[in-house]
Amino acid sequence: MSDVIEQIGQLLARLQSPDVVEREEAVHGLGSVKQDEAIAGLVVAMEDPDLGIREIAADYLSRIGGDTASQLLIRFLANEDIGTRNLASEVLIKIGAEAVPALVENIDEDDHDVRKFICDVLGLIGHESATEALLGRLWDENLNVICSAAEALGYVGSTEALDGLYAVAERIGDATLQAIEAIGKIGSKESLDFLYKQINGDDPMVTLVAVEAVGQIGCAESVSHLAPFIDAEDRTTADAAMAAIIAISRANEGRIEYDLPLDKFTGFLFEGIRNRDQAITEFTLSRLSNWFGSKVISGLIDVIGFVEGDELKRITELLGDVGPKVAKPILERLSDAPLTHQSKLLDIIARFVDENIAVDLLPYVHHDNAEIRQRIAHMLGSSGFKGAVKDLKILATDTNGHVRAAAYSALGWLCSEADTDFIMGGLDDKYADVREAAVGALIIIGGSKVVAKLTADLYHDDIERQRLAVSSLGWIGEVEVVEPLLKAINHPDAGVRKSAIGSLVRIGSVPDIEPITLALNDENSGVRKAAITALLALRGTESVKDVAILLEDEDVWVRYHTISSLGDLNRSELAHYIMPYLEDDLDIIKLAAAKALAQMGCREAVPILNNMTDDRNEDLAKAARMALSSIGGK
Amino acid sequence: MEIKIREQENVAILSLSGRLDLASGATLKEHLKKLTDEKTIQIHLNLAEVEFINSSGLGALVSIMKEIRLLKGRLTLSNLASYVQEIFEITQLSHIFEIYTTEDEALASYQPVEAN
Repeated sequence: MSDVIEQIGQLLARLQSPDVVEREEAVHGLGSVKQDEAIAGLVVAMEDPDLGIREIAADYLSRIGGDTASQLLIRFLANEDIGTRNLASEVLIKIGAEAVPALVENIDEDDHDVRKFICDVLGLIGHESATEALLGRLWDENLNVICSAAEALGYVGSTEALDGLYAVAERIGDATLQAIEAIGKIGSKESLDFLYKQINGDDPMVTLVAVEAVGQIGCAESVSHLAPFIDAEDRTTADAAMAAIIAISRANEGRIEYDLPLDKFTGFLFEGIRNRDQAITEFTLSRLSNWFGSKVISGLIDVIGFVEGDELKRITELLGDVGPKVAKPILERLSDAPLTHQSKLLDIIARFVDENIAVDLLPYVHHDNAEIRQRIAHMLGSSGFKGAVKDLKILATDTNGHVRAAAYSALGWLCSEADTDFIMGGLDDKYADVREAAVGALIIIGGSKVVAKLTADLYHDDIERQRLAVSSLGWIGEVEVVEPLLKAINHPDAGVRKSAIGSLVRIGSVPDIEPITLALNDENSGVRKAAITALLALRGTESVKDVAILLEDEDVWVRYHTISSLGDLNRSELAHYIMPYLEDDLDIIKLAAAKALAQMGCREAVPILNNMTDDRNEDLAKAARMALSSIGGK
Repeated sequence: MEIKIREQENVAILSLSGRLDLASGATLKEHLKKLTDEKTIQIHLNLAEVEFINSSGLGALVSIMKEIRLLKGRLTLSNLASYVQEIFEITQLSHIFEIYTTEDEALASYQPVEAN
């Protein structure tokens, strides 16, 4: 023990050092020793000239807590230095309930300032055990102490304080406001009759504070008492009544059975949204679903720049629900709105954009911001306004790739075959997005000119152009693309051959099947597989003989694909093609055969499948069990 | 192509099935013309059963959309099969059509709004 005392003694001595580092180390040392002597040292350090040291000492004291630290800290509440006083108050508040007994013990201090500070600290601690002591201070000889005690009782929130606060509100005029505020904070419904009396008194300040207090209590029945005040000449009182009703609405999950003249409060409500007041924003947005006067629409447009996330989504949805008439006020504000605001406004009218709106949007083709130009391109395209083609062609040469891509897409929605050459130019763009947008445009335009250009592109120097051409022809899907696609089955590039076959399957009506049949012998296994799929899709069982040759293909995956494709026909008479493969050397082929025979409902396969259920390959055994279950075998 | 038409709360719902190409696109446009002549300008197209759509089919949809916009109406689509969805992405038409996953979602978006 003596060692510890000696250590504390040394630390206390080091607290007097001129060296700030040494003093700081001493504070850390004292903070690690929970003895009264060490606590006293930390309290001394609260007056250190260095702010950092004072704060470290305060932090240790708040963590140590207890009566000793609290008693010592209370002495600082009389300190002349406001910084030290505030620091001591903060530490006491952090100590919390453990500091209350010491504070209560000192609440009768001779110095009225100390009594006031103690009331303030007790209020911020907010512990119910301080109620009685604070009630005693409601009749202090000093008005500041009375006001602080009243405020503190509001924070503590005990209903035991109500009678005392009623008495102060009625008898000590200069503390009336604090007492009423406290009654509101306590939030008890039993105070409502008292507060209703106050709101109807002669003093407008008392009315204002009582209105707020009623709002804090949050009782739905209070709305009828507050409603007359929203017509008050004094806007402050009217706004306070509205805010109180909003608070009550929130406390009652939006249920207020009272018609409110909301139009009078558009300014107040939208100001609340601008100030990011959560309660007002929530109330305003929740009430707007059936409240769309022109002032409301304008208000919503103007606050768009002040909201984010869910609130922004709700406002844009609300404005969207208003319909096309929202476009005019938006367009009126568009050019003066900040950039982020402009994007949001454009998104709202995108849904309604027509030829008239498109005309107003044309100047924005030259907007400085690429994101805006991109949006404008899309909107001009969706407007259906042919007069926008010239401007979209300007955007198709924009320096920004995203804008060019948007412009080519939009041109596809507006242009005719006459613009084919211009749009083909997009296929030379250095960005893939732009090339794909040009392809999309060509697909929509379609027609013989586009088909001719794309057919020529099948033999372009650039292999990517060849592949874009074949897939585009496939998506165009008209009768006139069938012949070029059939020819493309002999294309030098396997990717083009495969894509051509796939497109022909989608189109469906193929007059000449021979090129696809020949593709069964293609050197590329992917093309052979595409040919199998195509022939079975286009000709069904008629193609089985040709396709069945590939059951002996050199490529295992072609064999697998052939078995699976034949299985997909669900024809039991084709089972003899598959049966031999149930005993293939390769498990993967046996597995495909088991599945295919199950689809065909082949009962002849049951004995072999039964044996297979014990196979060491669990996947194969499982496939056999599933096949048996499907066929109805063991 | 088969087109089934029904009406629900001022929205005409057209359920299409089969191939949407030049011929069926023209038929669809005729149906739409009849509806708009009768002042029905809120149209929903359920494409769940559309198995093929080509350039002419897309052209018909774009033309219908422009017509409806001109009349200040609204056109929504739903239940796009993966093939149809793919071509809508390639052509970027997904940017200009209001597309919903299900018919119910699309119809819910037609909730009436009262204006004071």
